This record gives sequence, structure tokens and C-alpha cells, in this order.
Amino acid sequence: MSAPLLEVRGLSNHFGSVCTARDLSLSFAEGELTSVIGPNGAGKSTFINLLTGHLPVQAGQVLFRGRDVTGLAVHQRVRLGMGRSFQIANVFPGLTVLENVLIPALALAGRAGRPLSRISGEREAREQAQGVLSRVGLGAEAERPASALSHGDRRLLEVAVALASRPALLFLDEPTAGMNPVERTRLLEGIRALSAGGQTTFVLVEHDMDVVFALSARVVVLHRGELLCDGPPERVRADARVREVYLGHEVEEAAP
Amino acid sequence: MSPAAGSRRGARALSWAAAAALVALPLLSGKFATYLGVRVALLAIFGTGYNLLLGRTGLLSFGHGGFYAAGAYALGLCSLHLTAHPLPGLALALAAGAAAALVVGFFCIRASEVYFSMLTLAFGMLIFAVVWNAREITGGDDGLVGVMRAPIALGPLRLDIAGERAFYLLAVALLAGSLWLAHRLRRSPFGLTLAGIRENPVRAEFAGVPVRRYRLAAFVISGAYAGLAGGLEVLLESNARPTMAHWTHSAEPILVSLLGGLHSLLGPAVGSLAFVALREVVQRFTENWMLAFGVVLLVIILGFRGGIVGAVEAGLRARRAGRAAP
Amino acid sequence: MQSIVHVVLAGLSNGMFIWLVASGLTLIFGVLGVLNFAHGSFYMLGAYVSFSLVRALSPHFYLAMLFGPLVVCLAGWAVERWFLRAVYRLELPYQLLLTFAFVLIFDNLVKIVWGAGALHPPPGLGPLEGSVEILGRKFPIYSLFVIAVGPLVALALWALLERTWIGRIVRAAASDREMAAALGVRVPALFTGVFIFGTWLGAVGGALAVPYVGVLTPGMGESIIIEAFIVAVLGGLGSLKGAFLGALVIGVLNAFGTRFFPAFDMALIFLLMAAVLLVRPRGLFGVARS
Repeated sequence: MSAPLLEVRGLSNHFGSVCTARDLSLSFAEGELTSVIGPNGAGKSTFINLLTGHLPVQAGQVLFRGRDVTGLAVHQRVRLGMGRSFQIANVFPGLTVLENVLIPALALAGRAGRPLSRISGEREAREQAQGVLSRVGLGAEAERPASALSHGDRRLLEVAVALASRPALLFLDEPTAGMNPVERTRLLEGIRALSAGGQTTFVLVEHDMDVVFALSARVVVLHRGELLCDGPPERVRADARVREVYLGHEVEEAAP
Repeated sequence: MSPAAGSRRGARALSWAAAAALVALPLLSGKFATYLGVRVALLAIFGTGYNLLLGRTGLLSFGHGGFYAAGAYALGLCSLHLTAHPLPGLALALAAGAAAALVVGFFCIRASEVYFSMLTLAFGMLIFAVVWNAREITGGDDGLVGVMRAPIALGPLRLDIAGERAFYLLAVALLAGSLWLAHRLRRSPFGLTLAGIRENPVRAEFAGVPVRRYRLAAFVISGAYAGLAGGLEVLLESNARPTMAHWTHSAEPILVSLLGGLHSLLGPAVGSLAFVALREVVQRFTENWMLAFGVVLLVIILGFRGGIVGAVEAGLRARRAGRAAP
Repeated sequence: MQSIVHVVLAGLSNGMFIWLVASGLTLIFGVLGVLNFAHGSFYMLGAYVSFSLVRALSPHFYLAMLFGPLVVCLAGWAVERWFLRAVYRLELPYQLLLTFAFVLIFDNLVKIVWGAGALHPPPGLGPLEGSVEILGRKFPIYSLFVIAVGPLVALALWALLERTWIGRIVRAAASDREMAAALGVRVPALFTGVFIFGTWLGAVGGALAVPYVGVLTPGMGESIIIEAFIVAVLGGLGSLKGAFLGALVIGVLNAFGTRFFPAFDMALIFLLMAAVLLVRPRGLFGVARS
């Protein structure tokens, strides 16, 4: 086995006096669908923000395919193959669905900066963009403005935008939040298929336990910025500490 | 026919009508109208470049008067000390506008939103202060005076631009070139990426776009347009003045972009025409031009954010829809 | 030495006018999230209206100073209630340009009502005439009065925001609009109130300036708004502490510039602002808005 796809060493982060990451060390292997869970305020979003460069790392190291990317800018990491989606549907609302996906496709091909050629002539990027759209089931919506899509479709589009950068590693931050059951199933099937396809390794941040245990090969539990538990779903489900701080909390909430 | 294709056709018809009217103007009327035509063309060049930044990239700069002045003084100094030939002067004006924008942009582009606007305002006023104070070079508050409008000599070819009409045609030609370039930029991958940055800079960064570098590029391009317009004004008025760098002048391209329409290629040009025409008409009847324009601005912001072009397009669409339905 | 003391004193009194304008500007930005170009116009209106009232109510100088700014508050109310409220949900450029439209409108209205030329308030208009001797040179008493008013206003503002019930509501609305609304705060009314209060601060600055500046022009709002912008941005938009410090720094720096480097006096301020923003992109005491 070669170096892991992504390795995190001693990651720490503070917001004022609040600790959002404390000496986190873990790694993600290629092809292994992993979920990051934890109660509100566990530091899940911060964790992703740190790994993808959205927040500066205060202490620790992030290695992608053995290369230190801690100091790299967001767009540089994206070019290397790290992608992400956001908690709130985060697309280019005023552009068409196809244009949404064209932007990362052009950036990936190194053609985004061409000032005088025509968009309509960018055949390769257009084909790639169309391909990504049909893969997530938005092929028929290509010419509609993104702002006209339903909420679920907009979330799908965001995943498509992330996929168009051909990420080797893709973080999805609560991808099913606010979706109806039909949309949710569609998206999960999509993720499962893409993950099995082997080109992209997914890391999910999720709230919904059904999603987590249905999809993941591995579950990482964070609590107050610390790594609480890490292993296959069954083991995590059985872990006493997890039950106490996380599932227990859920159970309490769920009980009428 | 799809509405998109319809509005494209409407925009095209509008553009040809505007272009025809613009070119015909001096042929039909007197010297003063020609002069106003040149002013419209210069403001339109300034605004067209500026709107690549505001309408396309979503950045509100209050410092472009500074780049306009950089171009103006570059041409003025070149003409007074190096050569009166307009071509090197205009090239220098364009380069000076771009260079000033590169330096200022390098510092400002990291700031976000309001801070970006205020920082560009400060740098623009810094240029104003420098021009005002460097009396030995710039003439201080008197400005640079006595710039000649020498003929354009290209080998055996001599183009005399001293006459108002000839100069007007030159300005229109340069405006056409500016519009053409803006048009190409807007439909290129670069233009799409800028639109993406306007719509959602964070998402653009996560789509692999180095957002700062692209913003800086748009800033520099708009600065080059401003420099060119500034150089042309010196040829028109035969002087360069520090007030060109003042923030109230920086507001002009914003106003014409908004007036004509932020999201269309021709918006700033149409807005320039409307701006100059409105000013002339209002000033004929009353002293209170600023009041009138303030009210127009309010009406646009509160009711017609698509500007003139947007309103015309919406009107055309509505008429077509009315015709389509029996 | 004595000349330096006098330069500092002159700078401080100039700085206090900038502070009065910048305080309203930064307060409005902090709560409403709008940068108000027309704030300088309220300063100008405060000066013109108070000047007219001083003449009408003479010799009741204090009454004029009291009512002048209140009249201007009506203009502030109209701007917020009937125009600004319609653009809160729009992007930044529209908000800025809306307030810019009011700069044009107010400047022009002043020209219509009071004439385009400069007005010269006669000397000895207000109380506190004359001067005292400081280190062997005369200094106007009125300037000392202005230097005292600035910190008093700062103190009052601080007490209002930190020590009163209404201040708590304002701070809550500033940090989280939705949450404040959910807790039953009538946010639109609060915004109007804060805008009017900010207007009043700027207009008071204008009223106090009448006996000080010696000349009123329709462009006086435009020049002070730029200085107030710089001060507010320097201190961090939304931070009153920052605005106060910034106003002192800019006032004194300005005075030194005019006295010792007349060729660079304007450039000096803009350079300082650029330098601060490069090191601290949100100003000295600025915080990121959510």
C-alpha cells in the first residue's frame, strides 16, 4: 500500500478561546468512503475548512498524496485533486447550469484564462461538463439558469461543479441537508456509484445517521475538536463513548 | 424562438441603431454636437472598460479616475516632452492606465467588499494628491496645458485629426475597437470565469480559479481602458487636469454603467449617451443638473436596475409575448 | 515647542469634527451594514440649517444649535424610511450608489436654498469668543470647547451602547439581525432610529462647525465625508473606538502635514490609510461581519 491519499498530522485550531481542532491526526485511503460525524459544534465544518484551505492552518500539517499542501491556496489544492461542496447550496446562481460546470472544467484544463477564444469553441471542456451533468442527472437542465433550479437540483448541481474539477478526493458537507426523500435517494445512489467507479474518494460530513451507516466504509467521530473514535460503522456504533456523547444525545433528542 | 435569442436580437438591433445614430450625429449637426459626440465616445470607452470590472467581475472601484488621469498625464507629458505624434502618446496612455491599475490593484485586491471600494477610493485620491502637488511635472492645479493634436503619420499616410469631425471619427473607431474587445472578453472562457467570480467568489476558488489573479487582471484591463480614455481627452481638450483623478470623476463610469445597464455589453455606451444628453438638456433649462441626475439615479436604483438596455430588452420581450399570445 | 503644541491643538479640534461625522457613519455601518456617502451632506445640512437658525433666533445661539440638527434628522428619516429600506437586500454597489444619489441631491438643494457661493458667518457669532494664551500664543476658546466636546460625545456614546437597555438591543441587532428579530426586536424601526441618531451626530458636527470654519460652501460635505471614510476605515468600520482614535490621528497628522510638509499634506493621509489596510485589512479594530 502506497502513501494515503490524504494525511493530517497534529492539526489544531482555535477561534478565540474556543478550540475547534485539537491535535487531530488521521489519514484517508484511496477509495474508502468515509463519513465524519459528531454533534453540533464538534468541529466538522472547521475540519473540512482546514483541510481544503478555506481556513488557514494554525498548527499541524496536511499532506495530499505525500505532498505537503498546508501552505497552498484553495485553488492550488483543487488543481491537485481536492474538491468540496458546501453546507448551503453554493453555486453560481446567475449563470446557466452548463456554465456552472464549465467554470471548473475550464480551470482544470488550464483554459479559464483565455481572453479571446469563444466559449462555444471549447469543445473538450463542454463535453466534459455535459458528461458530468448527465452523470448527476441534470443533463436536461443545461441551459436553465441555476437560480431557477429546485433546492434539491441545486445541491446536485453543486456536487456536479465539484466533480467537474475531477477531484481525487471530494469532501461533501452535509450533501443531503434540506433534500426531500426522493432527491436524497437519488443523490446517495449517485455517490455510491461514483465511489464504486473508483475515480473519486468521498469524505462525507453528515448529520443524518441513516446516510452515514448506509454508505460509509469508515466513520470518524469528532467531539469538541478532538478525535473520539475512528473505525468501521459497526464498531463506531458499538463504541461506548460515541454512544455517550453523540448517539446518546441523538436518542435523547429523538425521544418524545 | 426562445426568449434568450429574442433578447439577443433585440440587443443587436439596439446596438446597430445606436451605432448608426452615433456616427450620423456630427454629419447632421454642428461643431458643438460633434464635440459632444466625442465626449460620449470617451465616456463610453471609460465606462465599457470599467463595467468589465463592475458588471462582469462584481468589483466596485472608486479609484478609476486615477487611472484616467494616469493616461491623460502620460499622453500630455509624452506630447510636450517626447513627441507630439498621437499614436505613441495613446499607447503610453493605455500602458500608464494599466500600470497604475496594476500597482493599485496589487494592494487593493486582497480587501473585500466595502474595504476594496474604500481602498481604491484612497489610492485614487492619492493619485489626485500627487498630481496636484507635483507642480514641476504636472503643473499642479493648472494642469498640463498646450497639448497639440498633431496628425497621425504612418509612413506615407497622414491622418489629420485636428478637425473636430476627423477626431470624432477617430474616437468612434477607438470606441468600436473597445466594444469589440469587451465583447470578445465577455464571451471567452476568461469572461465566463469573471462572471463566476462575481456570482460566487468562494465557489470560484473551489472550482480551481485563482480568484485574486483574475480580479487583478480585470482591474488592469479596466485601468487600460481608463488610461486610453484619459489620453483621448487630453487630445480633445488640449489639457490634463488633476480633477480627472478626483473621486467624483471616478463615479462617472459607475453612473453610466448603471444608467445604461450593468449586465449588457452596450450598457455603459448607451448610458454615456444618455448621461451627456441629459446633462446638456437639463443644463439648458436649469442650473440644477446634479439634482436631476440624483433623482434619475434614485429611479434607476429603485425601479430599473437593468438600466436603459435592460428596460428596452424587457419592453421588447413583453411586446413579443403580447404578439405571440392572441 | 510652542508651535508643535499649537499644531497638535489645531489638529485635535479639526479631528473632533471628523470624529463627529465618522461616529455616525461607523455606527450606521455597524448596525445597518450600509456605508452612507450622504453622511457628509448631513454635516453640511447641519451647518447651513443651524447658520440660518442662528440668524433667525439671534441671540439664542444655543437654541439654534439644538434645533438645527433636529431639522436635519427629518432628512435622515426620509432617506432611511423611504429609500434605503428598499435596498438593504441588494448588493453593495446599489446601496452605495443610492446614498451617492443623495449627495448630488442634497448638494444641489443647498445651492438652491442658500446659493452656490460661499457663506461667511460673521465673527463673534456664537458664545465662547476670544482666545486664551497657551505657551505665549493665543488659541481660540471655541476650539478648546470643541476639543472638550469630542471626548464627551465619545463617552456618552460608549455609555449609551454599553450601559443601557437600548444599547444592548442595538448591539444585538448589529451582531445578528435575525436573532434580534426572533427575540422580538422591531428591527426596521431600530434601523430607522439608528440612522436618525447617526444623522444627528453628523449634523451636530456641522452645527458646531458654523462658528469654527468661517466659511460654508456646498462642497463642504464632500470633503469631510472622504476624511470620515478614511477615519472609519482606518479604525475598522463599525468600531466607534477605532473611529475616535482614527479621527485624532488624522486630525493631528493633517495639521502637521499642512504645517511642515504642505506639498504632501493630502497624500500623507491616504498613504497612512493604505498602509494600515495592508497590514490590517479590516482596520485597527475591525471585525469580520457575519
